[in-house]
Amino acid sequence: MIYLDNAATTKMFDECVQTFRTYSCDKFFNPSALSIASMEVTKNILGTSKFLLEKLGANVGDIIYTGCATESNNLAIKGSVRNGVWEYVFSSGEHPSVYNVAKKLEQDGCVVHFVPLKNDGTCDLDELKKVLNEKTRLISIMHVSNETGALNDLVEISKLKQKFCPKAILHVDGVQAFMKIPFKLSQTSVDLYSFSAHKIHGPKGVAGLYVKNKGALKELFQGGGQQFNLRSGTENVAGIMQLKTAVELIDVEKNYEKVMHLKNLFKDALNVDGIVINDFGGSPYILNLMFLGVKGETMLHALEEKGVIVGLGSACSAKKAGNRILQELGFSKDEIISSVRISFNAYMTESEILDAAKIICEVYADIKRRVQ
Amino acid sequence: MNKVLLLKFGELFLKGRNRHDFIKLLKTNILKKLHGYECRLEETQGRLVLSGYQEQKEDEIIYKLQQVFGLIAVMDAKEIDTSMQSIESEVLNIDLGGVKTFKVSTKRADKTFSMTSMDMDKHLGEIVLDKFSNLKVDLYEPEVTIYVEIRNNGKTYIYNRLHKCAGGLPLGSAGKGLLLLSGGIDSPVAGYLMAKRGLEFEAEHFHSYPYTSIQAKEKVIELAKEISAYCGKIKLHVVSFTEIQEQIHRCCDSEYMITIMRRIMMRIAEKICEKNDLGAIITGESLGQVASQTMQSMNVTNSVVTLPVFRPLIAFDKEDIMDIARKIGTYETSILPYEDCCTVFLPKNPVIRPTIKRAQELEKNLDIDMLVRQALNDEEVIEINNY
Repeated sequence: MIYLDNAATTKMFDECVQTFRTYSCDKFFNPSALSIASMEVTKNILGTSKFLLEKLGANVGDIIYTGCATESNNLAIKGSVRNGVWEYVFSSGEHPSVYNVAKKLEQDGCVVHFVPLKNDGTCDLDELKKVLNEKTRLISIMHVSNETGALNDLVEISKLKQKFCPKAILHVDGVQAFMKIPFKLSQTSVDLYSFSAHKIHGPKGVAGLYVKNKGALKELFQGGGQQFNLRSGTENVAGIMQLKTAVELIDVEKNYEKVMHLKNLFKDALNVDGIVINDFGGSPYILNLMFLGVKGETMLHALEEKGVIVGLGSACSAKKAGNRILQELGFSKDEIISSVRISFNAYMTESEILDAAKIICEVYADIKRRVQ
Repeated sequence: MNKVLLLKFGELFLKGRNRHDFIKLLKTNILKKLHGYECRLEETQGRLVLSGYQEQKEDEIIYKLQQVFGLIAVMDAKEIDTSMQSIESEVLNIDLGGVKTFKVSTKRADKTFSMTSMDMDKHLGEIVLDKFSNLKVDLYEPEVTIYVEIRNNGKTYIYNRLHKCAGGLPLGSAGKGLLLLSGGIDSPVAGYLMAKRGLEFEAEHFHSYPYTSIQAKEKVIELAKEISAYCGKIKLHVVSFTEIQEQIHRCCDSEYMITIMRRIMMRIAEKICEKNDLGAIITGESLGQVASQTMQSMNVTNSVVTLPVFRPLIAFDKEDIMDIARKIGTYETSILPYEDCCTVFLPKNPVIRPTIKRAQELEKNLDIDMLVRQALNDEEVIEINNY
């Protein structure tokens, strides 16, 4: 099997399995208990937070551990909402776990602005400028688009924030960028940054939210007051430690170069009439392909039969909902339903990439012949 | 005093000499439905009495009985030996806390009992009023009705709650058909409604892998499971339509694509009926809902088969169909967004008023017998039983 849907999830590192064992069977203690053994576990978690802050390039702040990136995004946005005449700003390219929260705020009567995307898939900063003002409470813009791989410039966005609304909170959904794109939070004004373990070869069920100033955030639910009262509930100790293990094993720069090379190799090998490669020049990990005249879902099933797994992004519901992001970028309905999302990981080999490209070309030729 | 469930059945009364067979079938279905529960089922004039079950299972049992066609209501009743004293004391035992108005409704089948039904209503009403001075009698819209049924078998049944059931006729009393199950909202509802009229059925699903996904097939299996709670055991025939669709796509006008597809589906359905001794084809079509469901389209697709085609939704609005789907629990599954067989080669402008003549002309380009045979050879059969 050649797995090309790494933006959906990744295979867990074997080392993480070992970590799970350690923190489930040996060091299984509840960090909130008073035993010395529990205190050791608390120290392990604190050590992980310190380590993650370093990896994020943050000089100040804390990490809140959550159950998934959706929860991190909800905590970031809903936890920043305040009564009064505030305005909330989102890019229109956001993942549903941000976009639908924004829609909910709108329904609840908040003033919400959606900033359009440029043709390269990034948030249009000229348009962003227009909606920022002293009433802006929150700006939420994703780092890397899960659909297109488009990379938003956090440094530029930070400058705009500082200029137009220095008191606003800047949230970034970094799920597709964390441990994939080299960057430092300290070079930006990002206040909140969401990330997830299972996108970087860690376990499902653990995610995090970087919080620069925890006093500015409100909790989503009440309970035992763990994690500065921002996320009550016993910490998923094993999961948090597995996340650490995964991060330890990743060399962001080296991986970035490798995946860039794999992506270019793949693109060159897909030189076939009818296959449109939409490379938005952002993250090398994500590529959008369009198979003219054939539905993306058909390609997905036919490819799986040949051992290649690809994704549709949120286009899986193209029939009902349409793909919001690709629509925003001006693609036609036919183009959208013919699209497939390819996403790589840094541990694939060149031969896997070339095999996959070959199979994709063959399958496309076969289906095209059958439907045309 | 025993806790029992009184089961009320409806139209079965009308069935004259068949009545006995209908009740026998209903009893069989009830016992099938309650398989695994300890209980006793007896018949007393116009009622079935379920007893001997564990009291804490009563809610579960009522829930299950509500899925048995032929029953119109279940009453959780107290069964006592008939005597004025015991009736009075049971009636006074009923919890009327928070209730403002009530009435008593007596049915006296046992004519040897000393008081008439009307006298009993008055008498029992009075003693209730004596005990609860804040209550009032309301004969027209009471909050609570206390039912007292004095039966010939020396037993009296007292209850004040009716649980509405699905109604209809006992499953199996109308024979067996074949439901075309697409995965949409309509076809499970069509199956449900036919089963309500006593028709058992097998089901047929067409899939077009890789144009449709394995999930689409799983979804249909899930739907079959969901309606099986009402419709009994379902044998699901899954037939691959890929080759047929590709051939039609190659050889026929795109505007007739769906017309011809449906004609071939009907032919395959009739073959399955022949082989499995099924007497009718059931579809979820509703007049005018889409291009393939106009009167002319239905005529053209109907003309290739001789078996009756039941279309219970023919005059239903989509909203009404969705309401039933929600009620029987298939709606959420039906709206899962997988491609279904019909949408893959969907032409931009399907013909709204096809003609049989044109369809026949186009079909000359296809070896239909061979395609039908091939599809049937590769049929996969899945047995589903969630009754």
